[in-house]
Amino acid sequence: MRRLARRTVATSLAALLAVGPLSARADVKALEEAAKKEGELTWYVAHYTSEGAEELGATFTKLYGIKVNVVRTTAQVAYQRLTQDIKNGQANCDVFSSTDIGHYVQLKAQGKLEKYTPENTPKIAKAFQNLDPDGYFHTTSGGFVLISYNSTKVKPEDAPKKWTDLLDPKWKGKISTGHPAFSGYVGTWVLTMKKLYGWDFFEKLEKNKPQIGRSINDTVTALNAGERQVAAGADGSTMFSAGRGNPLAISYPEDGAVLIIAPSAIVKGTKHPNAAKLYMEYLYSIEASEVDVKHFTMPMRPEVKVGTGLKPIDQIKEVHPTIAEIDKGIPEVIEQWRDTFGN
Amino acid sequence: MATNARPLKRGWDPTWLLWGAIIAVLLFLVVSPFIELILSSFRSPKDGGFTFANYAAAYGRERYVQALINSLQLGAAAAVLAGIFAIPLAWAVSRTNMPGRGFVRMVVLATFITPPYTGAVAWILLAGPNAGWLNKAFVFLTGAEAGPFNIYSFPGLVFVIALYSFPYIFIFTSAALELVSSEMEDAANILGAGTWRTMRRVTLPLALPAILGGLIICFLEAIALFASPAMIAIPARFNVVTTQLFQFFANPVRVEVAAAYAMPLLGVTVMLVLVQRLITNRKGFVALTGKGGERRPIDLGRGRWLMFGYAMLVASMSVFLPYIFLMQAAFAKAWGRGFSLDNFSFKNFHFILFEHATAAHSVFNALLFGAAAATAAVIITFGVSYIVTRRLIPYAEVLGFLCVAPFVIPGVVLAIGFYAAYAPPPLALYGTAMILILAFTTRFLPIGYVNSSAALRSLNPEMEEAVRVLGGNRFTALKRVVAPLLKRNLLGAWLLIFIPATRELSSAIFLYGPNTKVVSVMIFDMSEEGNFEYLAALALILQALTLPMLWIGQRAMGRDFMLRRTAT
Repeated sequence: MRRLARRTVATSLAALLAVGPLSARADVKALEEAAKKEGELTWYVAHYTSEGAEELGATFTKLYGIKVNVVRTTAQVAYQRLTQDIKNGQANCDVFSSTDIGHYVQLKAQGKLEKYTPENTPKIAKAFQNLDPDGYFHTTSGGFVLISYNSTKVKPEDAPKKWTDLLDPKWKGKISTGHPAFSGYVGTWVLTMKKLYGWDFFEKLEKNKPQIGRSINDTVTALNAGERQVAAGADGSTMFSAGRGNPLAISYPEDGAVLIIAPSAIVKGTKHPNAAKLYMEYLYSIEASEVDVKHFTMPMRPEVKVGTGLKPIDQIKEVHPTIAEIDKGIPEVIEQWRDTFGN
Repeated sequence: MATNARPLKRGWDPTWLLWGAIIAVLLFLVVSPFIELILSSFRSPKDGGFTFANYAAAYGRERYVQALINSLQLGAAAAVLAGIFAIPLAWAVSRTNMPGRGFVRMVVLATFITPPYTGAVAWILLAGPNAGWLNKAFVFLTGAEAGPFNIYSFPGLVFVIALYSFPYIFIFTSAALELVSSEMEDAANILGAGTWRTMRRVTLPLALPAILGGLIICFLEAIALFASPAMIAIPARFNVVTTQLFQFFANPVRVEVAAAYAMPLLGVTVMLVLVQRLITNRKGFVALTGKGGERRPIDLGRGRWLMFGYAMLVASMSVFLPYIFLMQAAFAKAWGRGFSLDNFSFKNFHFILFEHATAAHSVFNALLFGAAAATAAVIITFGVSYIVTRRLIPYAEVLGFLCVAPFVIPGVVLAIGFYAAYAPPPLALYGTAMILILAFTTRFLPIGYVNSSAALRSLNPEMEEAVRVLGGNRFTALKRVVAPLLKRNLLGAWLLIFIPATRELSSAIFLYGPNTKVVSVMIFDMSEEGNFEYLAALALILQALTLPMLWIGQRAMGRDFMLRRTAT
């Protein structure tokens, strides 16, 4: 962990002192040696774009010479693959990164996760720390559901300022959303809206006849095509597309952008326990945060600046449900959604 | 089933070893994953005991039953519409003097190599209710308030699916029509039937097994497709089997319920196979005898331009219009900015080919696995259809059914069976290329089977009998008579499997490993990420690479890919 250690000391000595510099560094050093002997690890990941995930893996390899087999797919597919592996006794996956917190609640209850709290935890932004008090899974990525719009059709001053603005009849036939049964982002957004405004919010939204896609990123397609004008979209994928020159913009709602927390965990029975632990440390490193920012995901480390057009987390009014609410609430809102919207 | 097959004396024959091997492979490939699926549909997820609870969960709600009904209606409507696109074109191209026949074949080929999900994306841009280009054009021309097209509807989905599956019917039908000798049509003409009546009463009925085969493939494919319904049915506010199945995989994953939910589809397949047999049993369809026959194009008079117009209408819908929009996205810096010169760039292609960590490799993987799977499937299905049509063993039809069954089970469910059968020891194929090749082989057995059994049925057994009367055994007959006569059909079948295998998504997504990602998975990920420019560029690269392979295939066999037969 040479490069990492040097930068760490240089950039946040205070944080290091807090956890005891000598012991921590010695531990990480030993971990690195043991990880190198294992030589590789496999990462099931749903957090980033495929380019982002591949680059995170490649950066790790560059730092430590340990190969990362990146299996980047959607959260559902990643989870089904993992459960199939477990059922058939195949220890394929070492680190599991899904966007659906419910997956971790299940896996933890079934005893399928390895307990490990990264030494680097105190160095990441406060909002991301201590997700699971028992230390089985940890936030390694994040994003916001907020209001996005087509900037050639909607002027910034006319764009919705808060979620309830979407209920205004002037947006009839002009709204785009994803589907909670297909996207963890959308599921968390629906749950939060229900918590803030009751299910009534969606009964009213249906009067505006939103176009319902599948993934939250379908809103990017709908806005770019001009098929719809405003959306409940994701900050990362919208700004990535805007960065290419597409006519997209975002607005942080006054009543709260919905914070999505995406965890990672080490799978029980992993064949590469040290490499997996080192990888968890790495996901909290400055190097990993720099890759995050390049791909418009939120950096875990506060000292790394967010991508163009995005706000740092401490300047955003955010709302998010608790783990327990997500685990219990999302299956319920999917049913309610299907009753209201008919699909 | 071949009423003409008269089994000769059943003595020992070295080909029995071959039949045995083929049957064993078929059992291994299809039966073991299926048994696993059927068992898991009755297995309690908690204690592994026997239960009907999965079926109760799968069919206890009106919503889930409705999705199944939607799928069946979708399949039937898409197959009929695809028939309306395909059959007139096949007849015109293979039997008449319509102008531009070679061009029409080329366009159907271009349609066939267009992945259904790419076509669906393009049609969303063309016929989206607010911003679709066709609607904008309509508003511009007529001054109306809104255009008439809405792709986000049941008819819209039927249209898009039919548009990209009609080549199956076209290919089967035109191959069969080209075998029909003009003498039969002449006979009808002499007896006073006009061109139209002759086609209806003589020519088309002779091609009936092939047409039915094509319709069945379209029906099954429409039911098993995932990507197009996901893009169109969900915004249109209805569910089909595949979109519903996907929700059984959401947390908490209910694999057993998903398996139970898919089981009635097997029943549907059995029914279709029986119906096909019922219709074709009464009639003889032997068109290819040892004797030559004259084949002349029918003169359509002025109607030939009408036919050509129809062909161009279908072609604009399936190829010309959609590709304009794919090219725009692929060459755009930002596709949302529309058509303009300062938006033009090659960088998407550069990124896909040289900068992306896995995209270029995924194209190579898809072509390699597709080729391996096509080869294996052709060998197996040729053997099986020979056993079935010549009734070499009792209950041979069961083997035929096994070959057709995999198509209807959506890949997401099939993948569960594949995983359980192939991934753990003793095979331990997880993450290898082999598991994908096996899965693709199994998945596309139906195309190979439908194709080779139609070909064998059109082949009069008298030619093989002649070999055996002269003292040759069945192996000699196969090698010296059957294979040479049908080698073109076999190559055609190979291509018919190869192309969809390079695009297979739904089973691949659960079975690929870190080094065996295929291009369809890559494209699906890009669509999930809203990465439209890269998606279009990657799809075009795949198309461009498929074309030379088809060309080589044609040259090798001295015929074109559409099973066109030079008059023999």
